[in-house]
Amino acid sequence: MAFLFSRNRQKGNMDLVKGTKELVLKCLAEEKPQPKTEEELARNLAQMKLVLQEQEVSPDQVLQLIQLLLQEDLLLSLANTIHKLPFESRKDTQVIIATALRFKTNSSTADEPFALNTIISQRPQLIVTLCNGYDRRESAMPCGGVLREALKYDAVAALILYDEPSAGGPPNLSRELNTSAPAKGDGVFWKFFDWIDKSAFEVSADAFNTFREILTRHKQLIATFLEVNFDLFFQKYNRILVQSDSYVTKRQSIKLLGEILLDRANYNIMTAYVASGEHLKIIMKLLLDERKMINYEGFHVFKVFVANPNKTVSVQRMLINNRERLLKFLPGFLSDRKEDDQFMDEKSFLVRQIENLPPQPVPT
Amino acid sequence: MADNYQVLEELGSGSFGVVYKGIEKSTGDLVAIKHIDLEGSDDDIQEIQQEISLLSTCKSPFVTQYKTSFVKGVKLWIVMEYLGGGSCLDLLKPGPFSEAHIAIVCRELLLGLDYLHQTGKIHRDIKAANVLLSQTGRVKIADFGVAAQLTNIKSQRMTFVGTPYWMAPEVIQEAGYDFKADIWSLGITAMEMANGEPPHANTHPMKILFHIPKAPAPRLEGSHFSKEFKDFIASCLIKDPDRRCTAKELLRHRFISRAGKVESLRELIERRQLFDASEEKADHPKYYEETMQDISPRTEQEEWIFDTVKPTTIAPPPRHTSKRQKLARIPSGGEDSPETLIQRLNLNDAPLGCASPGPYRDTVRRTPAKDRRRSSANTAIHTPSGAAAIRIPSGMTPTARRVSGQAKQPLGVDMSFGNGNSTVRRFRRVSAEQTPNSTMVSEGIAVADMQPPPTNMLPDTRDENSPPLTAGTPGVSKEVLLGRRTYSKVVDNAFQETYAQTANQAKREALARVAHAWSALDRIDPEGEFLLLKAIVEKAQSDAKLSVALGLSTPAPPATPSPVKQQRRESLAPVPGPISTPTRTPAQSRRNSSFAPSEQSTPTSSPTKQSKLVLAQNNPHLKSHHRRRQSAIVGNGGPVGGLEGGREYGYGGVDERKLPGYVRPGMEHTGMLADVLYSRWMDGLRGRWGM
Repeated sequence: MAFLFSRNRQKGNMDLVKGTKELVLKCLAEEKPQPKTEEELARNLAQMKLVLQEQEVSPDQVLQLIQLLLQEDLLLSLANTIHKLPFESRKDTQVIIATALRFKTNSSTADEPFALNTIISQRPQLIVTLCNGYDRRESAMPCGGVLREALKYDAVAALILYDEPSAGGPPNLSRELNTSAPAKGDGVFWKFFDWIDKSAFEVSADAFNTFREILTRHKQLIATFLEVNFDLFFQKYNRILVQSDSYVTKRQSIKLLGEILLDRANYNIMTAYVASGEHLKIIMKLLLDERKMINYEGFHVFKVFVANPNKTVSVQRMLINNRERLLKFLPGFLSDRKEDDQFMDEKSFLVRQIENLPPQPVPT
Repeated sequence: MADNYQVLEELGSGSFGVVYKGIEKSTGDLVAIKHIDLEGSDDDIQEIQQEISLLSTCKSPFVTQYKTSFVKGVKLWIVMEYLGGGSCLDLLKPGPFSEAHIAIVCRELLLGLDYLHQTGKIHRDIKAANVLLSQTGRVKIADFGVAAQLTNIKSQRMTFVGTPYWMAPEVIQEAGYDFKADIWSLGITAMEMANGEPPHANTHPMKILFHIPKAPAPRLEGSHFSKEFKDFIASCLIKDPDRRCTAKELLRHRFISRAGKVESLRELIERRQLFDASEEKADHPKYYEETMQDISPRTEQEEWIFDTVKPTTIAPPPRHTSKRQKLARIPSGGEDSPETLIQRLNLNDAPLGCASPGPYRDTVRRTPAKDRRRSSANTAIHTPSGAAAIRIPSGMTPTARRVSGQAKQPLGVDMSFGNGNSTVRRFRRVSAEQTPNSTMVSEGIAVADMQPPPTNMLPDTRDENSPPLTAGTPGVSKEVLLGRRTYSKVVDNAFQETYAQTANQAKREALARVAHAWSALDRIDPEGEFLLLKAIVEKAQSDAKLSVALGLSTPAPPATPSPVKQQRRESLAPVPGPISTPTRTPAQSRRNSSFAPSEQSTPTSSPTKQSKLVLAQNNPHLKSHHRRRQSAIVGNGGPVGGLEGGREYGYGGVDERKLPGYVRPGMEHTGMLADVLYSRWMDGLRGRWGM
């Protein structure tokens, strides 16, 4: 009896995946999906989600379903259709993809769970498609949710960072990754700047969270990437994010900038960043912004310039030229932050540093 | 986006902002709009985003519907459906609900919870205050401020959040919990609706925290309740979460299945309206006002000099030409202090003069948790009758909310902790001086007709490394700082408020001129500014009539308690001893500057460095304080040291930072009693759970 039941379930899984695949393709082909297609698809997806959530009860069932999903390439189709699905189905789809990518088997030897591993080696396009979910409000959050979970694995971050449409899309990670070639700037990673800057609040905020995850999670990977693509990255970062018209984008990106610079793994990036007078100029303007949290976040970048023991001539000159102004300005700067001892300490330290600047720039 | 909404009167203000009623112009629908001032907080953006993303993935007739959100200036607008019936807590004012009504509310709540739980969400703060009714009697779950989204349906949570009286035992014990926690809270809420208050409402909220896990589950008592109702409560309140029913199972319970139609809940709304009418309390709707232009532009700092942009106007002549010569003249090792100093401050070193290994500026803080449990003093609370889809103050009960913040990295990379978000608890250096906390979101003022809750502070246990009272920042005189402070905290706000309240154009102009002049004074001579204000206050005090009119009649005590406390305490009961003039915290003033009611903010800055009022243990007043505070607790969310990142605190044991009523640094002196209670409680915990 039991084995009959189990055979039924297996057959059920097969039908479920095949049926869903057909419906998804139909949905993709139609301009506006018919209500009947939608309804049926929603039902299928809800059921698929239920099966996947039965992990403890019947791991074999789950494994089988995931294998079928991979075999039929349904995950990519789902990611492509997500914005056309009804409200609840979008969330179901998120759960399906995320659960599939997360599912671990005992036998797997790879770093990543087996489905994610398969995706990375054979269907890296899925990751890029998920990023492109930020193009639409409907798909942004479900795709973002899956992405951030998958970004726990550095391979996923590498796929996003080194995606080069002109060179055939995301890299094949089974081969050696060429990290020394500079990016052209049209890969999916670079689209995050616009998603963050131009989207509606929810989309922008979600995209920023993913962006932050990419930039902070895998230290070594990102340090290498930023070193190679320093100019392109900071040119975009400064222009689009730090000087954004959106208060939230501006504030969050200044904060993230501080985090990136002060990360130990990014030491070389920090020294290159604070060598530039142009950068200092942008940051000093933040200190004069009329919004105090912008001032505050800006201060935490500014302090890196001032504390740098090997200031470049251009940075020195800018600080020296503004010495009097800075000395007049800093004591009253955010003076209501009295309870923030670290801030007060750092502020008075900066004052001392600026007082002690040589009369003229000294080359180091 | 904002143009699509016409903002009407204020519905209330909550821990995170002010809620207005509004009209969505494109549809004509009534909406509730929450305005969150993002500038007002150090680091809430991510937390707020979290709430929004949770809300926006809910679409159910049993959950308040999120519409959209957007940023306008520095304010985040969250648009939700408008629910005109009020919260269940509002509706409880005239008296407890009948069983029939409770059954309907519970059924609707279960449907809502079932929806949430299916999609992997735990609300974590179910209580009457967070249950809203539409005008037609539909019941909706509101306030997702502390809700959690589980990525994996089977995973568990550890975070200690919620409101003590409604908290399930497993949440308090932090042994990991899941959806079942909401079912417990639902049971407590049902009892709240039946009795008018949750069980043990008269117990101190801190005490209740160790009472709940220890005591047997509460049961509904009284012969006037049916067996089914009692059984329903008993099924919700099973201490072992594994044996507790799920929402689905409870929907089949007899008490629920025989419940009537939601329309009959309109009786509750009508009852409330009649009750309000009989109270004859005049409502003073506060209308939304666009934040006015800054009448006193802040210190005008001219642009920096960037020699590439503005070649030498005022700056010392750049000596590009002489650079080379200089280079030749300066011996390589000849630099004086700056270089050597900075060399010492290698970017990898621990930050400035800070001995503690992790001197991160911790921004984890908890939002103000308020309590309005019935003490004898608040039998007739009047609250704004409108209800928003979002938290409004009428329903304020303390909600322990975990607000996270990424710690700001200090100068240099801190090697001692490695990078990333360490979960090791860090100590934060705090000044002993009491500063009205600008990040505090205060609710007291905006709803002046609410009962101002008494304070009961818990000690800041992280304060052990706070230095003793110190002098001001070296180099700047105390008067200068006080002057600056006077301006930013008092004068500027007072001007703005008065300006907002002045209708006449000519008068406005005159006022603006004074404000401008004053700002000039502040710029040039803050010291004089302070002395001037001091003189004004003193002169006013010495004139009997004026001092009475301004409320300065009793001389300010040498030891001024903090403004917040004063204010609350005053309204609570006549306090033996000196009463000082009411002052507002900046957060309050700012928040209310655009729609400030007639209440007056007396411009007295509370000098920061006065000694604190500390009650000796044997002080006879302590007992009365004790009694007065016993019934209620107020946690002022302050910037609380803690962990960075919005992650769950993994380490075992109860973390006092997560507890409701946690006190911001500097306020600890208000809670001598809490001190005792709290340490006893901690000891109790240690014994019980083997920490």
